Amino acid sequence: MIKKSYIIFVVTIISFLGISATWVISKANDSIEELPSIIKKVPDFSMTSHTGTPFNQDSLKNKISVLDFIFTSCPGPCPIMSSNMRTLYKQYKLHPNLQFISISVDPEYDTQDVLKLYADANGVDDERWKFLRTDMESVKKLNKEGFMFMSESLPAGHSVKFVLIDEEGNIRQYYNGTDKGSISILRNHINSFLKNFSKNA
Amino acid sequence: MGVWYIIYNLNMQRYFQFSILSMVFTYLLIFIGGLVRVSGAGMGCPDWPRCFGRWIPPTSLSQLPDYIDPEKFNLVLAWVEYLNRLFGALVGFIILITFVLGYLHFKKSKHVLLSISVAFFLTLLEGWVGAKLVDTVLDPITITIHLLLALIIIGLIIYSSIQSYYLIVGNFEKSSNYHPHLKSVIVGILVCLFIEIIIGTEIRGGLDMSRKDNPLIESIILLKMLGPFKYIHTILGFSLLGLTLYLRKIVYDIKFRSSPFMINSVNSIMILIVTQILLGESLVFFDVKPLMQLFHMWFSSLLIGLTVSVFTFWKISLEP
Repeated sequence: MIKKSYIIFVVTIISFLGISATWVISKANDSIEELPSIIKKVPDFSMTSHTGTPFNQDSLKNKISVLDFIFTSCPGPCPIMSSNMRTLYKQYKLHPNLQFISISVDPEYDTQDVLKLYADANGVDDERWKFLRTDMESVKKLNKEGFMFMSESLPAGHSVKFVLIDEEGNIRQYYNGTDKGSISILRNHINSFLKNFSKNA
Repeated sequence: MGVWYIIYNLNMQRYFQFSILSMVFTYLLIFIGGLVRVSGAGMGCPDWPRCFGRWIPPTSLSQLPDYIDPEKFNLVLAWVEYLNRLFGALVGFIILITFVLGYLHFKKSKHVLLSISVAFFLTLLEGWVGAKLVDTVLDPITITIHLLLALIIIGLIIYSSIQSYYLIVGNFEKSSNYHPHLKSVIVGILVCLFIEIIIGTEIRGGLDMSRKDNPLIESIILLKMLGPFKYIHTILGFSLLGLTLYLRKIVYDIKFRSSPFMINSVNSIMILIVTQILLGESLVFFDVKPLMQLFHMWFSSLLIGLTVSVFTFWKISLEP
């Protein structure tokens, strides 16, 4: 026969651990789901996508966007960035409210045809991932003034950050596009934004 | 002679007390480790052993070093992970003291000394695996190794603790004469438990992978999408219950004169296995709640400890 005091002891311990763990889990969940605050608005811009369609600041509206700056002949971090972007693109295939944008920082080489080939090589088969180009001056301006990146040594010196943009066209957070840990946090934030987005829709 | 014997005995008792302390704190650490996992705080500190380059985690973004991406900073997750590390260091220290006491007072008992020595060295290894977890951004296989090492450590501490108790109080199992099947049944339960735990971590890892590939889909649907692992987990769970029922039957048989330690441990194993089946099935049929996952994992570690206890009682019963 198990003693009553033993049962009370076990129940007390389990309850204490359970209540403490519930508190920690709920605090952790709240902190993970907390949306990052607005950094600044993306300024006006005008570009063309790899499919030839125009793309401007209004194209950011009513969608959550993940944006980066790359160039197709980049030997350095771009393949890792595009590979990480490709993974996200595939993982969120059921979420048309999320779009991916890669802006070329070498528009002279990255013609629309080259971008189209690059898109194909990355398995892009719908409208959710767009590769954009415009003239070099506009790219530099958007890079520096719009996203606060260094633009003196483009194309080689482009940022490796992914930028999360909300449905109003506001920059919400920057992530290291070559780092697994950062991408995992980006994934959490995308989930929170999408949940919020579908609630408001 | 008498005074020396008392001091000798007191020292042995001190070892026993510290081994119990090691056991309790290791169990708490396994719980906290599981809590880190279910609350998603595993990467709360992106570096090791410091947290964002500091010995006391930062409380604001301005305290972050330049070489760490600021988006990785989450105050709550950083502190959850860091408290786990601090508690880990405390447990390591307690096991170190236990190991030293074992070395000083149980030189002649290979059962006590060898098991606590291995436990101590595995604890050091466990700290290193913890660092690798951060390096590999929570690689699933490394997570499994981290848990399995913790279970081996707790098993060794319990074995050492009971063996020291036997040397202090004498053979408390001397009147027991257990069923010849007992050893095989206990070993069978232990092997099944380890397989169950490995499959459990596979299910958990698979669920995490599936959640990444299918974001915002309910966990219960993802669980249904997982392969045959979950069925093997359930089947093995019921097999464990069968083995435990048989164990209970042979332990309760009056002719084997089982000790109260043995009877209470076997009853606890049975209660825990039933609880585990209920918890596991409710995860499948209702929802995958983090708190339930945490207790499901933690109870499995308690089961390992109890089974090792039963094994040790049986082993002591063979001693003269």
